[in-house]
Amino acid sequence: MAHHELSDAEYKSQVSAVWKATAWLSIITIVEVVAALLYPESSPKIMLNIFFILASLLKAYFIVGEFMHVKYETRALAITILAPTIFLVWFIIAFMWEGGEWLNLREYWGVIEPVVKGAADHGHGGGH
Amino acid sequence: MAAENAVAQDSWGGGKSPFNVSYGKLMMWYFLLSDAFTFSALLISYGAIRFSSPYWADPNEAFSAMPFMGHAKVPLGFVSIMTFILILSSVFVVLAVIEGHRDNKKGVMKWMMGGIIGGIAFLGCQAWEWNHLIHGGNTLWENNYGPQAFGMLFFLITGFHGFHVFSGIVFNIWAFVNTANGEFGRRNNGYEMIEKVGLYWHFVDLVWVFVFLAFYLL
Repeated sequence: MAHHELSDAEYKSQVSAVWKATAWLSIITIVEVVAALLYPESSPKIMLNIFFILASLLKAYFIVGEFMHVKYETRALAITILAPTIFLVWFIIAFMWEGGEWLNLREYWGVIEPVVKGAADHGHGGGH
Repeated sequence: MAAENAVAQDSWGGGKSPFNVSYGKLMMWYFLLSDAFTFSALLISYGAIRFSSPYWADPNEAFSAMPFMGHAKVPLGFVSIMTFILILSSVFVVLAVIEGHRDNKKGVMKWMMGGIIGGIAFLGCQAWEWNHLIHGGNTLWENNYGPQAFGMLFFLITGFHGFHVFSGIVFNIWAFVNTANGEFGRRNNGYEMIEKVGLYWHFVDLVWVFVFLAFYLL
C-alpha cells in the first residue's frame, strides 16, 4: 500500500485534533478525581458510579476514535471492530446478577467469609 | 440502490482491501478485539466477585499513598499522575504515527522516544505502588482493606495490564530502532509498522481507563 505525503494543512488539522482529544481526556480525568473526592458521603453512591461509567466510556470514545483512528476508517471496518463488543452488555448484566445471587446464597446458608485480619483497623496499611 | 450497488461492487469486487487497510493492520485490530475480551473477562470477574462479597475495600483508603510524602494521605493522587503519564505517552505515539505519514524520520524518532519514556515512567510508578502495598502487608493472601479476593484481583489485573505495558515498551523500542537504522524508511509501506505498534500502545491506554474505573473509582 503506497503511502501518500501529508499536505501541510492535513498535517496541522491532524495534530490539532490529537491535542484536542488529549485536552478532553485530561479534563474528564480531572473531573472524575474531583468528583470522587468531593462527593458527599451521605448521598447515594449510585449517581456517582453512573457518572464514572459514562465518563469512562467517553474517554474510551476519544482513545478509540481519535488515537486509534477508527473515526477515519471505512464504515465497514469500524463496524467489524466495534459490533462484537455488544456481547459485553450481556456479559456484564449476567455476571453482576450472578455475583449478587452468590451473596444471597451465602447469606442464606450462613457462609459469609470472616473479615480478614486487619480489615477493621484502618491506618495499618500505611507505609513502613 | 444502483449507486449503493456500485459502491459495494467497487469496495468488495476484489483487487483491493474493502476495509482500506493492510492485512497487518487488520490482524492487529482482530488481535486487539480478542485481547479486549480477555480484559473484559478479568474485569467482569472482578465485578461478579465484588458483588458477591458482603464488604469491599474503599479505594480512597487503599490507594492514598504518595511517594516522598511519607504517611500523608493523598487519595487517588498518585494514580492520577500515572493516568496522565500513560495518556501523554499515547499522545506521543499518535504524533509519531503522523510524522511517519510525512516520512519524517527525525519526527518519528523524537515522539517514539517520548512514548517509550512515558511507558517506562508508568511501569516505574506501578512498581512503586506495588512495592508500597506489599510492604504494607497487602499481598495475594491478605490485605488491610477488604476481602482476600480484593488483593488477588488487584495484583492479577494490574499485573496483567502492566505486562501489556512492558511488552508494548519492547515493541516501541523495536520500532524506534528500526526507524533509526532506516529500515522503515526503505519499506514500501513506509512507517506503517509505527501505526501497528501504536494501535497496541493505545489499546494499553484504553484498558487502563477501565482498570482505573474498576479499582480506583467505583
